[in-house]
Amino acid sequence: MDALALLLADSRFPSGSYAHSLGLEQAVADGLTDVPAFAAARQRLVAEADARIAVAARRGEDPLALDEEWCARCPSPVLREAARRLGSQLLRSAETVWPDERIAAYREASSATPRPVALGVVGAVAGLDDEAVALLALYDDAATVTSAALKLLPLDPAVTTRWLAELAPSMQRAAREAAADTRPVAAQPAPAAVALELAAAVHQRKRERLFAS
Amino acid sequence: MPVERALRVGIGGPVGSGKSSLIAALCRELADRRVGVVTNDIYTTEDAEFLRATGVLPEERITAVQTGGCPHTAIRDDIAANLEAVAELEAATGPLDLVFVESGGDNLTAIFSPGLADVQVFVIDVAAGDDIPRKGGPGIARADLLAINKTDLAPLVGSDVELMVREAEARRDGLPVHPLSLRSEHGAAPIAAWVRDRLEAFAAHGHLHSSVEGVPDHTH
Repeated sequence: MDALALLLADSRFPSGSYAHSLGLEQAVADGLTDVPAFAAARQRLVAEADARIAVAARRGEDPLALDEEWCARCPSPVLREAARRLGSQLLRSAETVWPDERIAAYREASSATPRPVALGVVGAVAGLDDEAVALLALYDDAATVTSAALKLLPLDPAVTTRWLAELAPSMQRAAREAAADTRPVAAQPAPAAVALELAAAVHQRKRERLFAS
Repeated sequence: MPVERALRVGIGGPVGSGKSSLIAALCRELADRRVGVVTNDIYTTEDAEFLRATGVLPEERITAVQTGGCPHTAIRDDIAANLEAVAELEAATGPLDLVFVESGGDNLTAIFSPGLADVQVFVIDVAAGDDIPRKGGPGIARADLLAINKTDLAPLVGSDVELMVREAEARRDGLPVHPLSLRSEHGAAPIAAWVRDRLEAFAAHGHLHSSVEGVPDHTH
């Protein structure tokens, strides 16, 4: 157990993720009530591929090339913008926590700063291993969804936490698989979540919304 | 010391106390300076839309941050989105002298992090009840300036402005308290004068000592 991994997993780390629902707000507006199914679908369709990108960034693959790989997997400009904000906010705080040239250089050079690449760069500086970085990407995705659920549906916070706990075994398995995969990112699985991409554009045009995504 | 960024002035206070109207009035008073505004929204971009509709600033000088229903988090505990918004505003419009950061309307416990606001104004109003200063809270006790707004309404809502000023001053250890009516002849002029004074001090020293400043960063 790495204390710096806990620090990065903690929602109190100031990276602005409290303002995002990762698509849950629009899904609820469209009638969704099964939040655990939504979170699990995001794990399979989004977070696992994000975890693999984060691992590649942690391993020292060129982060600007990874920006392009990530953007190639996410054609939605709305989702790219949300990920850019989350990434740039993470980098801003991380640069104060770890004044390291690698964070400053990526922040300066990248205009896309998707959160998974930012997380991998920060994870490398924090000295985390591949599995910890992958797990962070997976956990953060699900925790952002369950935390947003409390503001969108009448839910008991202990129950949403149980949902997260129930996802733990599949998160660990996915993190181990991402860490064990030594192929370059371009050769790794990259599923698509087309429904999320379409819904994100609808959400962005709504006048009344709590969340930035 | 040359100043390379805009002075960031936080405008906080409860819902409906008149933060957006005060900012609009200050933008008019400070028309000779390069001013930008970042609003923090709870549910809509109402505040940004209001400011754009007043025409006091070019549209590109106003931007809105979505707060996920946590306006106090966005200005105090996790200021990353606001700092990014200020930086993006400055990058998009060129250098600015001053950026007002308007908090989402919140309760009496909300206060800006000194990492976000160099100085901050807390706005309450007479119509919410003249016991508000007595109720206190960090904004009322420690903001660099406390504005007690809508004094023109005091007789209509049975509030005692003098009592509010007295009880606020008792909590503030010499920090300024300004009764304010944007409908009066002077309007926001006294607050604008205070902002100009802060701008000059910031330009001269590159830093301001805010009354809410916390513990210094020990890596420096």
